[in-house]
Amino acid sequence: MIRLDNIEVSFGDFIAIPHLDLHVQPGEFFTLLGPSGCGKTTALRTLAGFIEPSSGTVHVDGKNVTRLPSDKRQVGMVFQNYALFPSMSVRDNIAFGLRVRKEKSAESDRLVRDIARRVELSDEQLDKNVAELSGGQQQRVAVARALVLRPKILLLDEPLSNLDAKLRHQLRQQLKDLQSEFGITTVYVTHDQDEALAMSDRVAVFNKGVVEQVGTPQDIYDRAATEFVCNFIGDSSPLTAEFVAEMNRLAGAGLSVTANSYLRVEKASLTRPADGGTAVGLTGTVVSRTYHGLHSRYVVRSHGADIRLLVKEDGGVHPEAGSETTVYVQPGHVLQYHPDTGAALQDAAPAGQDQPGRDQAAALR
Amino acid sequence: MSSTPARTMLRSPFIIIVGTVLTWFIAAFLVWPNANVLIETFFPGGTFSGRAAEKLLSSQRAMKSLGNSFLLAVALSITVNVVGIFIVLVTHYFRIRGSRILFLGYATTFIYGGIVLAAGYKFIYGDKGIVTAFLLNIFPGMEPDWFSGFFAVLAVMTFATTTNHMLFVANALKGVDYQTIEAARNLGASTWTILRRIVLPMLKPTLFAVTILSFLTGLGALSAPQVLGGRDFQTITPMILTFTNSPTSRDLAALLAVILGVATMLMLAVMSRLEKGGTYFSVSKVSSALQKQRITNPAANIAVHAAAYLLFAVYTLPVVLIVLFSFADGAAIQTGQLSPGSLTIDNYVRVLTQPAGLRPFIVSVIYSALAAAIAVGGLLFVARILQKHKNWVTGLFEYLLHIPWILPSALLALGLIISYDHPNPLVGGAVLTGTTVILLIAFVTVKIPFTLRMLKASFASINSSLEEAATIMGAKTIYVFRRILLPLVLPAAAAIAALNFNSMLDDYDTAIFLAHPLVQPLGLVIKANTDGAEGVDGVSNTFVYTVLLMVITGLTMYLVYGRSGSRPGGRHGSKRGKRGTPDADAGTAVPVGSPATEAAGAKVSTASGGLTG
Amino acid sequence: MPDNAPVPVQKWVSIVHKLKTMAAAAVAVTLLAGCGAGAAAPEATGSSSAAGASGETLVVYTNSNGEGRGDWLTKKAADAGFKIEIVGAGGADATNKLIAEKNNPIADVAFGLNNMYFAQVKSAGAIEAYEPAWAGEVDASLADSDDDKAYWPLVKQAILLGYNSDKITPEQAPKDWTDLWSKDEFKTRYERVTGLGTATAQLVFAGILSRYKDDSGDLGISDEGWKQVEQYFKNGSPAVAKTDLFARIASGDVDMGQMPSSIVAEREKSFKVNVETVVPSVGVPLAVEQVALVKGTDKKEQAQKFIDWFGSADVQGEWAQQFNSMPVNKSAAAKAKPEVVEFFDGLKQQDIDWNFVQENMGAWVEKIELEYMT
Repeated sequence: MIRLDNIEVSFGDFIAIPHLDLHVQPGEFFTLLGPSGCGKTTALRTLAGFIEPSSGTVHVDGKNVTRLPSDKRQVGMVFQNYALFPSMSVRDNIAFGLRVRKEKSAESDRLVRDIARRVELSDEQLDKNVAELSGGQQQRVAVARALVLRPKILLLDEPLSNLDAKLRHQLRQQLKDLQSEFGITTVYVTHDQDEALAMSDRVAVFNKGVVEQVGTPQDIYDRAATEFVCNFIGDSSPLTAEFVAEMNRLAGAGLSVTANSYLRVEKASLTRPADGGTAVGLTGTVVSRTYHGLHSRYVVRSHGADIRLLVKEDGGVHPEAGSETTVYVQPGHVLQYHPDTGAALQDAAPAGQDQPGRDQAAALR
Repeated sequence: MSSTPARTMLRSPFIIIVGTVLTWFIAAFLVWPNANVLIETFFPGGTFSGRAAEKLLSSQRAMKSLGNSFLLAVALSITVNVVGIFIVLVTHYFRIRGSRILFLGYATTFIYGGIVLAAGYKFIYGDKGIVTAFLLNIFPGMEPDWFSGFFAVLAVMTFATTTNHMLFVANALKGVDYQTIEAARNLGASTWTILRRIVLPMLKPTLFAVTILSFLTGLGALSAPQVLGGRDFQTITPMILTFTNSPTSRDLAALLAVILGVATMLMLAVMSRLEKGGTYFSVSKVSSALQKQRITNPAANIAVHAAAYLLFAVYTLPVVLIVLFSFADGAAIQTGQLSPGSLTIDNYVRVLTQPAGLRPFIVSVIYSALAAAIAVGGLLFVARILQKHKNWVTGLFEYLLHIPWILPSALLALGLIISYDHPNPLVGGAVLTGTTVILLIAFVTVKIPFTLRMLKASFASINSSLEEAATIMGAKTIYVFRRILLPLVLPAAAAIAALNFNSMLDDYDTAIFLAHPLVQPLGLVIKANTDGAEGVDGVSNTFVYTVLLMVITGLTMYLVYGRSGSRPGGRHGSKRGKRGTPDADAGTAVPVGSPATEAAGAKVSTASGGLTG
Repeated sequence: MPDNAPVPVQKWVSIVHKLKTMAAAAVAVTLLAGCGAGAAAPEATGSSSAAGASGETLVVYTNSNGEGRGDWLTKKAADAGFKIEIVGAGGADATNKLIAEKNNPIADVAFGLNNMYFAQVKSAGAIEAYEPAWAGEVDASLADSDDDKAYWPLVKQAILLGYNSDKITPEQAPKDWTDLWSKDEFKTRYERVTGLGTATAQLVFAGILSRYKDDSGDLGISDEGWKQVEQYFKNGSPAVAKTDLFARIASGDVDMGQMPSSIVAEREKSFKVNVETVVPSVGVPLAVEQVALVKGTDKKEQAQKFIDWFGSADVQGEWAQQFNSMPVNKSAAAKAKPEVVEFFDGLKQQDIDWNFVQENMGAWVEKIELEYMT
């Protein structure tokens, strides 16, 4: 549906994106994830037609749109702040694109009412001024305004970044529901990994203008292709060489002791997993425990590494700080990265997995 | 923005203090003196006299002049907006080659005005003007005196009074959220549609404010009609001035002034009503900085470039000629004949070596600076309160503060004299006439309406949650004001102060009545020169003074803009928020029209300045 | 701060304490006043030999400070031991200022205003009677016509109709103002005023309207008189703001117009034109510039000394020599330029009832502005 090939974007001397290839499938919810300044918005704006790449091509639905202006690309966009026109009513905002196209007013009216119904805006709300709407309603107006023109793709530029946590969660769901209802190919930009994981079909992780990994949320979480992705996504504890060596000794795992190694917090436990055949126990001391209601977070020092882990508050055993304990770890869960390149070490990943993302990441280096 | 019941408002000690000072000021310097002068003119000997109305109604000339003034005011409200918006767009919105140069050309109205400006235009388009001579070569049959009457007056005043657009509309434009423009573009809107449906509607409050000023300028037009109006297009202001100076006809002057004042108030009311309807400022919490727009249609692009440069020529030619003529002798100036050999610095030597020398300049600079600082400084508090609390009390105060727009400054001065030439309890039993303070009071007073309107507009553009945030963190009202609000309105306040400063430098109408004889401002000296009392040299002296004033006002604007330019984006800097990351900002690398490069002077043509002064 | 200022600032010192916001302003302005007076001071102190100088500055209002007169007088006065500050303003402005300030006068002396203006100032009670030492040397009929004479004549000024003598011979020239609108050849060739704010314009109309005095007419003028005014404005080329009549004559726009006698010689030179003047059979209106003591001055004695000095034959003679004026003081006339004296000797003065004119001028100006001017 969308192909970005060999895209390079530069602003004067500054190269924002050195080289970018991206392919988005029809109907997919595709997320560009990364920290501030990583180039994800630039990529989206290149796709939207607000930025002309210095080289490379953009295809939408098989058509080369690289030199086409934004409005000829059949892309709808929801801006970070929604960019609703403050001087117009909700209805006029949604109808704006239709009026620009000189749609007949009856037809335009029908389309506006139709889209409004689908995004659950009432007739009464349609006549309000945009300033009178809540954040959620404003978002629905922005989506309706983008979708009423029946674009082939929908671009969302951090639309939740200015909202409070509760509203964010609510609107995240709302956006996802709208997307699945319309079935429209969507490219979503965010710096919030939680959002990316929860909403996306696939995620591209950006760092300094470069895509580190493309994959399903589970791919990038469980099999982070680079050390950056590993650190950016989820929560993990860095392991010491001593700790890794001890694991090798106990399980004969053959992990590299020179690589940078990490362990996701949820992958370690204080009790032996029921089915955990390969899990090994390493002794350690509880450094701290913080109570979170649903669970407690522990920091256990073992062989020089501060292992962070979660213990469900289900009435089980809960050692207090200072006490000796055993940390159970499966060697297969350890994520290992080359200390110089940051690329994942092949043997760390479970065999037989298809890893397109990693290939891509490797190719980009 | 919300309406606050008057009673609730009075719970704040800050408001009570400001309110008390304000009440005293309004009572002592706005209401009492002007009520005195009106009572004395309309109720001579305690009984009402309808003589003035009778006289005026039966005078064909008065009615025609009055009609002309209104015609000019209405026409000017339209033409200034057309030209003003155009020059703001070509300097700040569209990608135009050489827009910095264009800006400097358009900014020449900041630094000069009045009679000399009208004279400058006459040098070019008058019957012996350069352009006329050129046109006569092409069309030998044309009327050499083509540039006169309503059309000429309107043209000159239009080009002379776009200052407010360049300052305030340009500033408002910078506040437009660029994302809305991108959104519209994404929805297929053309450059023209985006401008008409998205950008201009967001500028409405500022446009309303500057429209009021244009209307006022038109109503008070003085020198342009005198120089260019000819027999058929004379306005009412010269008549008001004549009658003001004649004790037996002062009632006519007052009545005419009141008519103009009422019209101004009506205009104000209409504009406020229009403004009330909508939301104009971005509803979003995060906005991105404006990027200049390319005009995609090549024909339109060429046309806009051509128009922009034609206007540039129209704006700059008079200034160039004024500077040139300031080196010529008086006879050359009066006959409009310039020969390169006759240019000398004699005029400058004469002006700068006269016994008074630079002293009037210093006096004027100090008076104007003090008045500008007091007016802006004092009204910062007032404007904030009026903008924040809307109820009948603040509404009343706001209208009272517009009194100086109703009466011409000469009558205001007379009112002050009548009221304070004897010990008066309102000012602690002091006598103010013959002191240096009374002129300062008059200067401050005259500048109140303009300052108030502009400050209110700039407070209105501040996100109220900023203040709330600071208050929640325990900051006191004054502290919030000083640390949070003031920095945000400072660029606007500085610009307003600079405009006020510049417009008072050559004041004559108030100074002639109120100046301390030993501390005479520049206006009196200039007037003595131009009235012919100094003979032929007087005219050349006027040009020298104009050029010197241009230097001072240019310098003022440079200082003000240079300073505010050091805080990038002014009040919008804080709103740019997250988008200020390289991620987003790389595309907007150059902030549009960095104020530091826009160094230029200001000579605003408000009610009492520029062409009308 | 005020203590350092060698100028009479005590008037306003008291309020400084009361207007806190204004305090800074006042201080700054005082500094200015101080430095200004300091700059002027050496002239006075350098020659403090003369008559009874008290070091106090006399404030002198005048409309006759232009073309170097103010500076010349300030210097001459300093030599004579008078420290004066000239405040220049047009005739109408100076008159209004004197009247406006009558409760708290700033000026000590006023001069240069003609009898019409001074009559207004006097009826407002802003000047007081004083008989100068030189009262016997002037024609008392030119002074204040009341018994308690408050203003005294200094200089005679003729209000003339001048024409371009390079284009028009004396035979072709108009013989009187009324010719301008009654004879076709002049109808478009004279400059007419567009406002009656100036003393010269008012005197021209005083001269014309006086001829048509009619107690039963509107404002004491017969219908015929008003018809003349109407014709004056119907014809003629309106004056152009800030363009001198002589410039228009030089460029050929117009050939004639009103002018006070004192400016003719100098303007002829500047604009390189030759102008002759018309003396109608009824004569020409004479404006007589006067001097008066401002009522309520706290430097009365000093001010009177200044008037005695300024009106004396010596000073008036030098003034006349310097500025081509025609002194009223008979002894001074001997020192005036011969051609000026000669011109005035041959000049027939129009007989004008100044009391009548002064009583009605305000109303006339108003009527003309409203009804006749276009």
